[in-house]
Amino acid sequence: MSALASWRLALRLARRDAMRHRGRSVLVLVMIALPVLAVTAADVVIATQEVSGVESLDRRLGAADALVEVPAGGAPMLQAFDPYDGSTSADGVPADHEPPAAAEVSDVLGGVRLLERRQGDVYLRTDDGVAYVWATEVDLRDPLTRGLFDLGSGRWPADSSEVVVNREVRDQGYAVGDRLDLVGDDAPAPIVVGIAESTTSRTMPVVAGPIGSLGIEPSEWSGPAWLAAGGDVSWAEVEELNALGATALSRAVLADPPPDSEAPEEIRAWSSGTDDAMVAAIVLIVVMALLEVVLLAGPAFAVTARRQARTLALMASAGGTPAQSRRAIIGGGVVLGTVAALLGVALGIGAGRLLVPVVQHWSGEWFGPFDVPWLHLLGIALFGLVSAVLASVVPAWIASRQDVVAVLSGRRADTRPSLRSPILGVVLIGVGVAGSAYGATSGSSGEFAIAASAVVAVLGMILLVPVVVAGVARLAGRLPLSPRYAARDAARHRTRTVPAVAAVAATVAGVVALGIAVTSDEAENEGTYQAMLPMGDGAVTAYDLTPPQWRDLHGAVAAKVPDADVVLVDGLVESTSMAEPDARSYYLETRAPGVPRHQPLLSMMATTFGSSVLVDDDMPEIVRGVSDAGRRRGDAALAEGRVVVFTDRPVDADRVVLRPSWSTMDDSGNLPRATVPATYVPIDRSEASASLVIPPAVIDRLDLPHAPVALAVSGGRITPEQEEAVTEAVQAVTNDGGFYVERGYQADDETVIVQLVLAGLGGVLMLGGTLTATFLALSDARPDLATLSAVGASPRRRRWIAASYALVIGVVGAVLGAAVGFIPGIAVTYPLTRGWDPEVEAHYLDVPWLMILGVVVALPLVTAALVALFARSRLPLVARVD
Amino acid sequence: MSVRQALLALLEEEPRYGYQLRAQFEQRTGSTWPLNVGQVYTTLTRLERDGLVEGAGEDGEGHVIYRITDAGRAEVANWFTTPVERTQPPRDELAIKLALAVTVPGVDVGAVIQQQRSATMAALQDYTRLKRRAAEGSRREDLAWSLVLDSLVFAAEAEVRWLDHCEARLRRAQLERPEALLEEILAEEADEEASR
Amino acid sequence: MSAVLRMAEVTRVHGEGATEVHALRSVSFAAHPGELVAVMGPSGSGKSTLLTLAGGLDGPTSGVVSVEGVDLAGVGAAGRARMRRTSIGYVFQDFNLIPALTAVENVALPLELDGVRSRTARAGARAALEEVGIADLADRFPDHMSGGQQQRVAIARAVVGDRRLILADEPTGALDSETGESILRLLRARCDAGAAGVLVTHEARHAAWADRVVFLRDGVVIDETGADHADALLDAGRIR
Repeated sequence: MSALASWRLALRLARRDAMRHRGRSVLVLVMIALPVLAVTAADVVIATQEVSGVESLDRRLGAADALVEVPAGGAPMLQAFDPYDGSTSADGVPADHEPPAAAEVSDVLGGVRLLERRQGDVYLRTDDGVAYVWATEVDLRDPLTRGLFDLGSGRWPADSSEVVVNREVRDQGYAVGDRLDLVGDDAPAPIVVGIAESTTSRTMPVVAGPIGSLGIEPSEWSGPAWLAAGGDVSWAEVEELNALGATALSRAVLADPPPDSEAPEEIRAWSSGTDDAMVAAIVLIVVMALLEVVLLAGPAFAVTARRQARTLALMASAGGTPAQSRRAIIGGGVVLGTVAALLGVALGIGAGRLLVPVVQHWSGEWFGPFDVPWLHLLGIALFGLVSAVLASVVPAWIASRQDVVAVLSGRRADTRPSLRSPILGVVLIGVGVAGSAYGATSGSSGEFAIAASAVVAVLGMILLVPVVVAGVARLAGRLPLSPRYAARDAARHRTRTVPAVAAVAATVAGVVALGIAVTSDEAENEGTYQAMLPMGDGAVTAYDLTPPQWRDLHGAVAAKVPDADVVLVDGLVESTSMAEPDARSYYLETRAPGVPRHQPLLSMMATTFGSSVLVDDDMPEIVRGVSDAGRRRGDAALAEGRVVVFTDRPVDADRVVLRPSWSTMDDSGNLPRATVPATYVPIDRSEASASLVIPPAVIDRLDLPHAPVALAVSGGRITPEQEEAVTEAVQAVTNDGGFYVERGYQADDETVIVQLVLAGLGGVLMLGGTLTATFLALSDARPDLATLSAVGASPRRRRWIAASYALVIGVVGAVLGAAVGFIPGIAVTYPLTRGWDPEVEAHYLDVPWLMILGVVVALPLVTAALVALFARSRLPLVARVD
Repeated sequence: MSVRQALLALLEEEPRYGYQLRAQFEQRTGSTWPLNVGQVYTTLTRLERDGLVEGAGEDGEGHVIYRITDAGRAEVANWFTTPVERTQPPRDELAIKLALAVTVPGVDVGAVIQQQRSATMAALQDYTRLKRRAAEGSRREDLAWSLVLDSLVFAAEAEVRWLDHCEARLRRAQLERPEALLEEILAEEADEEASR
Repeated sequence: MSAVLRMAEVTRVHGEGATEVHALRSVSFAAHPGELVAVMGPSGSGKSTLLTLAGGLDGPTSGVVSVEGVDLAGVGAAGRARMRRTSIGYVFQDFNLIPALTAVENVALPLELDGVRSRTARAGARAALEEVGIADLADRFPDHMSGGQQQRVAIARAVVGDRRLILADEPTGALDSETGESILRLLRARCDAGAAGVLVTHEARHAAWADRVVFLRDGVVIDETGADHADALLDAGRIR
């Protein structure tokens, strides 16, 4: 018989078997189709959400054939086919190169018509303050712009005194007919004549009008841009434009790109350079997922193989070869895998279609057209098929080597485990430990080494599972009947039990490893947390209040927190409100004579009170981390008119060099430097909240402005209610301020959520593995259950046995998995919590014992309870109708 | 039945007199085939005539003791090494009865079979009970006895099985000849008519 | 003495309509202490149904099955299970030992299921194994025992805890005649010790071990041989 014919026979047998044993087939289908479905749906949504080059042309070009931009002041450019995928100015640019004018660009393109387009941001005054708005200046009545915006209501602007805005801007208080109140001294004030949506952005506030309507000036990094009409723009023309200093997005080039070799080598190096680490990570994830799916589907195939054991033994006794036996089982994998893969992909596409609007709702960008990436889906379907085939390989192998005599004489047990695989398992775990240790101690790519060795360790652990299961069965002699039966039966049917236990173990290993990583990361956050204030104290900061407003606010806050000291803090104006683009903010660089510039006087500092430079006559009470002696020295110094400089390193100097500078939103400049008498006061850097204190007289003499910058609230243990009241009081006078209360380290909600998600995912996978094996075991145990019933087991006993089964699989898997999970878990904390400062030997390790206890003890118990609850409480009878 | 050879075999063990021989025979075959003493002495006389046994004097109580001769020994050895011949089927009353019952009209063959089966079963039970009793002893003689019982048990069992087989065949024959069944039913109806 | 097992006018119908099968029709039957009753019949005669009804594994369509005076229909599934642990012992043709449990654990099953402490249960089980003559195999798994040994274990399991009713379904079917006989001897001994036994078989030789043989045909008892006294056999007249 040729191999092909033999396969055909195997597949036909497998198909019949799959039809006959629907329950088991459905189990396999679900185990394989579900992940395929999930990945397919995700892939479809991602592909739809991604707007590919060609898909994006209309929203970027409108009806034009090309978009020409001058991004770098006219320097010759190199670009990818799509300039947004990569463009750079060429080397060796003459500094005085002039940016190309419209006429030059038009000439290159054969004298086509160009429509100028400008883009930039503008600031718009709204009811709530000032909003940032993305602005486009282009003649929207020109047919070339069709596709850039969708007009919802009103009309397109006719001249530069008119604009359209989108719903987002409308919702901030502008209706058709209103005049836009743009921030800026000589900003135009166009009238809104229509509501139009950008075809790119869904949620960003957008305004558009003809050139000049919004006052956008071409700047150095955002030069002029034109939409070009008049026919296809070839790659050669694009390269010509590049030489002129422009980039071009050509519809023709993107629709039908030239060979890759045509792109400039420098750009190609960026785009084609795939990230090795990324590939490795994807390979790891795929391997782990494959492993998990294979392990979850494995028990069903093991049962299939055993159910067919007699048939196969008869085949063997009639001259069948082991290869034919294997084919009979693997045929099942092929049939079920194919069905599952097709089903998963089909349902996944459907699910993706349903999910797109939901995901769109959360995204700020408009998605492209519904997109089914067939090539990806082929890969995903293949994944499903391969996992099914792999899941059937081991049972098939075992079935092909079964003891024909034992099978025909009706013995039901599996053969004894070999010693070779556990030894290999130990070796693999050893390799995993070594690799993890290497990853923990090595520098940059440590995480990757650890993840890879985690996979190796898990594989090793899988090889150890049979031995452990057999060991548990041996120790089960003293257990009560149900668990004893479950443990022994599990060991007798290892081909069924081992993959289930391994699936649970692999899951738990992952959960434990990630759990340790997340918790340790959190421990690092907590360990390096820097309190800004004493516990329970608070600080009100705001950037746009006038001194009288500050005084009013002072009174209001003091009234809300009656038992605390509320102090108005004076300081250098270091920050200004975005609402006043012209307001100046100041920065004061300090340097001690004789201390090198790269050694800052204070290595760490948190600006708690709105300014790092406080202005006061004596040491402000709110400054912490200073000893009593230091405070007395500081008071004395300030009284003498000296500047107090806080430092965490020994400084031997009695003067300080101050280099003030200022900046507005658009401009900046330096002020004359000054050297003034100073006293250096040591401060604990972890508590430092200011870098210097300057007496008012000194700061006035330096001609630097100072003003109230904050309210310090201290000494009165602010309650959450008070905090809320003060926050409301602050919000009543400004949108640009806040009230911070020191509450110590607050665990990030995200960590808790991540832990919960981990535990949840682990729980689902564990449940899956356990339930599969348990119910397969129950169906296998029919004769035993019938016997139990005959010797007087109550119907409830089936539940106990089912629960014991779940418990054995869950606990053995969880304990093994947890043990293995510790290896990468602990290892990964080394690279993960290594601080940014390589000199500081930092390492945080926090094991989430509660979570691990939950996964190892509680989860199996809960699973067992669920199984007990849902298992049928009916024992089969010795069913023989004679 | 070979009383002749059986007595020779007993004498091969040791010289015995007539009563002893009878007792030994009955003990070993569990009184299954009772012997009378006259039969024993007649047989001994013939054996002596044929030169297979010889007189060996008398014991104190005046019993004549017989002893086996070399020719007798040879005869016993020959007996043990030759299979029992199944020359002619033994005339079996039961087989003949059934054969006639099947052919003669108006006989309820099923009832005949069941009646016989119950009887054979009862005998089988009795043999088994005796066997239980025999099994309690452990002497070689007890084993001998229980083997004889087994022979009876298997014979009876074979009879029951044969009866089962007959019954099954009869049923099949009835099913295969529905017109026979019809005749039966018509006959029954006619009976009922008549009784009314 | 009152019967341990009593079945009165018991009918059992499997299936409905066209597929309706009358496994038993109005069967009345009893087994007394110290008595071994054999039920004989060809396959399909309803003898196994009779046994499953007697053990409470199945319920009659009509009629009453009572064990030690308790109507099995009146005690519920749990009650019947308890009866199987404490009053009724089952022996099957294919032994039906649980392969995951050792011989002694298999025998201890009914006791353990009844809540007896493990140590006590095992001690009882060992005694029962001793009774059937295989105390030395107590810690073996069924896969490592011969058929006869397995059936001895099954019998030990059926009698452990002094159960008064032993139901045996072709217990010798898978054994050779010598081994089968020793199994019957054990059953017989158990009944002689006071238990009531019901032995379902199609072999006359085995049925002969019973005090009474009930013949079943198509779900109906067609005949019954009573127990004649054994000594009657000694009358020469009984021998052909």
